[in-house]
Amino acid sequence: MTLSKPESGAARRRRRRLRRKLSRAAALLATLIVTGGLYAAMAPGSVAEDAADSNAVEAGRELYEQSCITCHGSNLEGVSDRGPSLIGVGEASVFFQVSTGRMPLARQGEQAFRGPVTFTDDEIDQLMAYIQANGGGPTLPSGDLRDGELAAGGELFRLNCASCHNFAGRGGALSSGKNAPNLSEASDLQMYAAMLSGPSNMPVFGDNQLTPEEKRAIINYVQTLDESTDPGGLGIGRAGPVPEGVVIWLLGMGVLLIGVFWIGSKA
Amino acid sequence: MSIDHRAGAHGERSVGNTAGSSDLAPTREQLAAMSHAELDMLGARLDDTEVVVLSNPPPPGSIAEKRAERQVALCFGLATLFAFAFVIVFWGAGWFLPDWEYEVGGSAFGTLFTPLLGLTMGSALAFLGIGIVLWAKKLMPHEVATQGRHGGASDPVDAQTAGGTIMAGFARTGLARHNIVRRSLLGAAGALGLLAIVPLGGLIKDPNRGRELVETAWDEGIRLLRDDGTPIRPSDMQPGSLETVFPAVEGGNRQADAATMLIRLRREQVEAVEAPPGQEDFGWEDYLAFSKICTHAGCPVSLYEQETGRILCPCHQSQFDVTRGASPAFGPAARALPQLPIAVDEEGFFVARSDYPEPVGPSFWNREKVEEG
Repeated sequence: MTLSKPESGAARRRRRRLRRKLSRAAALLATLIVTGGLYAAMAPGSVAEDAADSNAVEAGRELYEQSCITCHGSNLEGVSDRGPSLIGVGEASVFFQVSTGRMPLARQGEQAFRGPVTFTDDEIDQLMAYIQANGGGPTLPSGDLRDGELAAGGELFRLNCASCHNFAGRGGALSSGKNAPNLSEASDLQMYAAMLSGPSNMPVFGDNQLTPEEKRAIINYVQTLDESTDPGGLGIGRAGPVPEGVVIWLLGMGVLLIGVFWIGSKA
Repeated sequence: MSIDHRAGAHGERSVGNTAGSSDLAPTREQLAAMSHAELDMLGARLDDTEVVVLSNPPPPGSIAEKRAERQVALCFGLATLFAFAFVIVFWGAGWFLPDWEYEVGGSAFGTLFTPLLGLTMGSALAFLGIGIVLWAKKLMPHEVATQGRHGGASDPVDAQTAGGTIMAGFARTGLARHNIVRRSLLGAAGALGLLAIVPLGGLIKDPNRGRELVETAWDEGIRLLRDDGTPIRPSDMQPGSLETVFPAVEGGNRQADAATMLIRLRREQVEAVEAPPGQEDFGWEDYLAFSKICTHAGCPVSLYEQETGRILCPCHQSQFDVTRGASPAFGPAARALPQLPIAVDEEGFFVARSDYPEPVGPSFWNREKVEEG
């Protein structure tokens, strides 16, 4: 805190007047931007954009028929014992599954695991457009996905996510060989898409359950976890008390035993 | 290793006499002339103790002794250095060293501050200990002492006089004669004992009294609230989602037995639901509500696998099948998670229709009994 010097009443008044002028100008600017934005959003899209969209859908359909059709069926209806229906899953689900390399599935198993990504970003966009055009579903958000209150994100993470993903986002085991993945590799958009679509065994967190602001707060918290240091020393994977116990039992007790033997041995 | 007995130790050793060997007792002049080491050995002999020297330290002035001295001194020196390093790190932080305040993505020094304190203090203590052990090992003689086992009972005269001392002392207190003093003392001692026992009473509770173990705060018309206190509409949750809910009573989200999972099933799961008898109407459309407390050991079971419809308990891997009334499908839990009957009130928010039909959480010895009562 700094101590302000006593100033004359005239100077204070001058500054107040200047501030009032500035705030009026800002309000005018904001109104103009909002009006313009609303117009742009409401006005019918140009023909060129529509054509680009339908091109993307068409390209997505071709990719789908090469890589996905075997398990998800020729009309996205799914194939029993192979893959679920994709009608209504939305682009969020496609983005999550394909951009993390979970799809196309390498082999049938208990769960799809993160792997090398098969498609380029453009191809992923095309696939998303194709699935979205057939049945709709949750769409991807835009803007800064870390724009949320860190502390609130921590609360929400511990309440909704930590039971499976571990309090430090390091993942954990589920039943029958499945697991909740480590979140350190996940991007902001992938996390958001996962919450929206509930991939595999993860529950869905719709926008009425966790608002977009709450989702952003959670993402901010999870990504901050990765940047935060371990002030207590070695993090040991931050996986909780089990590895910490193993380290202290094997290493700590080992060192103590060696010490005891050394003290007790004859010179 | 060779054991060399000290010359003369054997011959002078006297056997079996508790009172020590009076024939060894030196005169006053002899005592005054003895060195500390000789006095030490005399004391041991009088106590019927024999010291066997296993090995002697290196002779004074030898190379081995010098080396051992240097090693011990090095350890003590390192202990000193580390102790100073601790003080420097502790006081230097934020002065001539960087500040150690924790911050996200913080400085290297901030990360290292606590480990450095631990390392310097631990090393100082460790080197002090290592120095002491080295000193004892390399610069002190290694001895083993043996002591003869003394005979049995005390001398009858000693025993009788000791008893007499105690009884005479008791008689002198006059407690046998002053009845009022004796009784009031007994009363005070008893009251003090009671004082010590009474606090334990707070730890004992009659488990058959009250319905604390059977009932939760849920009741007819009590709303299901999120942790932040907001009520829930059926449109708020997507199929395949879970929300932890609490009763709309004062402090409801801090009540250990009231935590409940509100689950919205996916369409194909709704068709597969096999509700247990008597609980067919407990759900509301595709919503079901179950206690969050595991029936095995009372852990919160919140690992919901929405695809398989299983709830997994992280403590002992019990699994509960949501579509079959949360009956146990795997693991040590033997009973299903209690189901909360739910409905939607006029304002469109979820409410409970009654309390749980059975006690939540793990079994207890008189569970069946209190359930009936």
